Amino acid sequence: MNRVSAVIADRGRVSAVIADDEPLLRAQLRTRLARLWPELRVVHEMPDGRDVDGVIGAHAPSLFFLDIHMPGVNGLEAARAIGGRAHVVFVTAFDEYAVEAFERGAVDYVLKPFDEERLAVTVGRLKERLGVRPPDFESLVESLAERLSPRGSQHLRWIKASVGSNVRLIPVEEILFFQSDEKYTRVVTGEGEALIRKPIRELLAELDPARFWQIHRATIVNVDRIASVRRGLKDQAEISLRDHAETLVVSRAFVHLFKQM
Amino acid sequence: MNPSASLLEGLTVRRFLAVTVLCAAAALAVVRLFYNTYWDLLVSALCVGYTSMLLFTAAGNLRQRAVPREAMQVLAVIVGSFLGTVLAGIVKGRDVSMMFHERLSGVMITMGLGIGVGCVVVAGLILREKHARDQARILRAEAERHQLEKNVLEARLALMQAQVEPHFLFNTLANVQHLVETDPPGAARVLESLIRYLRAALPQMREASTNLGRELDMARAFLEIHQVRMGSRLDFAIDVPETLKVRAFPPMMLISLVENAVKHGVDPCCECSSIVIRAREDGGRLRVSVADTGDGIRPKTGGGLGLANIRERLKALYGSAAHLVLEENAPHGVVASIEVPA
Repeated sequence: MNRVSAVIADRGRVSAVIADDEPLLRAQLRTRLARLWPELRVVHEMPDGRDVDGVIGAHAPSLFFLDIHMPGVNGLEAARAIGGRAHVVFVTAFDEYAVEAFERGAVDYVLKPFDEERLAVTVGRLKERLGVRPPDFESLVESLAERLSPRGSQHLRWIKASVGSNVRLIPVEEILFFQSDEKYTRVVTGEGEALIRKPIRELLAELDPARFWQIHRATIVNVDRIASVRRGLKDQAEISLRDHAETLVVSRAFVHLFKQM
Repeated sequence: MNPSASLLEGLTVRRFLAVTVLCAAAALAVVRLFYNTYWDLLVSALCVGYTSMLLFTAAGNLRQRAVPREAMQVLAVIVGSFLGTVLAGIVKGRDVSMMFHERLSGVMITMGLGIGVGCVVVAGLILREKHARDQARILRAEAERHQLEKNVLEARLALMQAQVEPHFLFNTLANVQHLVETDPPGAARVLESLIRYLRAALPQMREASTNLGRELDMARAFLEIHQVRMGSRLDFAIDVPETLKVRAFPPMMLISLVENAVKHGVDPCCECSSIVIRAREDGGRLRVSVADTGDGIRPKTGGGLGLANIRERLKALYGSAAHLVLEENAPHGVVASIEVPA
């Protein structure tokens, strides 16, 4: 006999946890469940998916209702943390991908706003399933998590630069080029420029190499903003930018980047 | 890419042939005026022609800013004519020192002819190049105009396609569904906010021109809904002088900033955050800002299409006279401001 059914046998009632960041929607699900499934005990409510282990330790619930979109730890991450220790029903307002994946993976889910009949079907299914071991749908959760919140890119997307007494947040797409001297690095955009302390070497390691190319010991250019490249003296080349008067020197070591492809 | 190759850039077979033909023609034109044979004149002409051509090409490719390019080219032709004349003398086996005494008049004529013909040719070339440059500039301006027009169209299209997020709509309706049972007046209030929001947000319902006041109403309705949904997690204030509410303001930009503040500032934050919308006029400029006290922007998370879209539209509407600026809020969070000419 596995642990879940042991708990049911012990208390004779099924215990559930509701996780949703919206307090009214937690209350709503609780009221609906109370009507449809009087034997169900909601033992705990939480506004996000954090501390799943603590909740399982304290309440040993047989069932989790997890909203997919929650701050901090979302429903998919929480399901992964639960890892088959309890049954899971996902709750979502509208997620094309999720609903599609749930249908395919035969995972229990309910849509908000709740449809009483649909919720009754889910309840009926859950009652049948509670006796058996909860399925472990690790791979489904994994792939969904990837699709719903693609991991933040590894590259720098924003540059923080002091302008007067304020810290300006500059999206990297707006940046034409970076150019450094011994002390500072100039961040030049179509609308002006700012100074940062991060040296070219460090920037280079963090910027997207598909967009930002080093063209000189002291210069990184946004290739999307290049208007033209001209050959120059002494094996160098010269870059003109769109919407900007300044030209940039490509030093000999980097000229090969612009050789005809 | 070696320097000598780049100095002689433009020295084409065509240019070489053109100079050859020109020299042949010049020698033919003056052959009656001299005792010299045609071949003798042709050698002089070719020497002067080729030397000038080489120097002219190099002068054109020389990367220097001190002297105008055209002046360098004329100088190249003058020096070329002189050196070419000397070269002709050497080729014909004459004593170079003699050339500047007994044969001075002949030398002067050869040089003069070289300079004369050369200058005419140079003038022609310079004019042609200038014409080509003008043509390129016109084409570039045209391309830029096309790009701008395309941007305006795209921005308009994006605006048309900007729609009410289903996720937002259904979550709000789920809240209304609950409130109808537990707090009917509360449900009515949320519905009223939702209706006000939808009137402004649905493309079919949008009015062609809008002002700051109307955009604020929409943002307020949106925030009121979120306040009900998020409970104590969201707090907001609107600080906009009455006089500024009648000012024209581009549609859907303020709401975009407010949505960002909720989505990236308040939503990921488990504690209470606040949003303040502020508008001020300063020196003929209208500045509308949305400040949140959320987690702020992490350097490696995406900035969102919304902001890029606002930038594009501002550029299409006002050129370089309008800006979207993002700054850190103290002690935490983000301030996003749109500045347009008042």
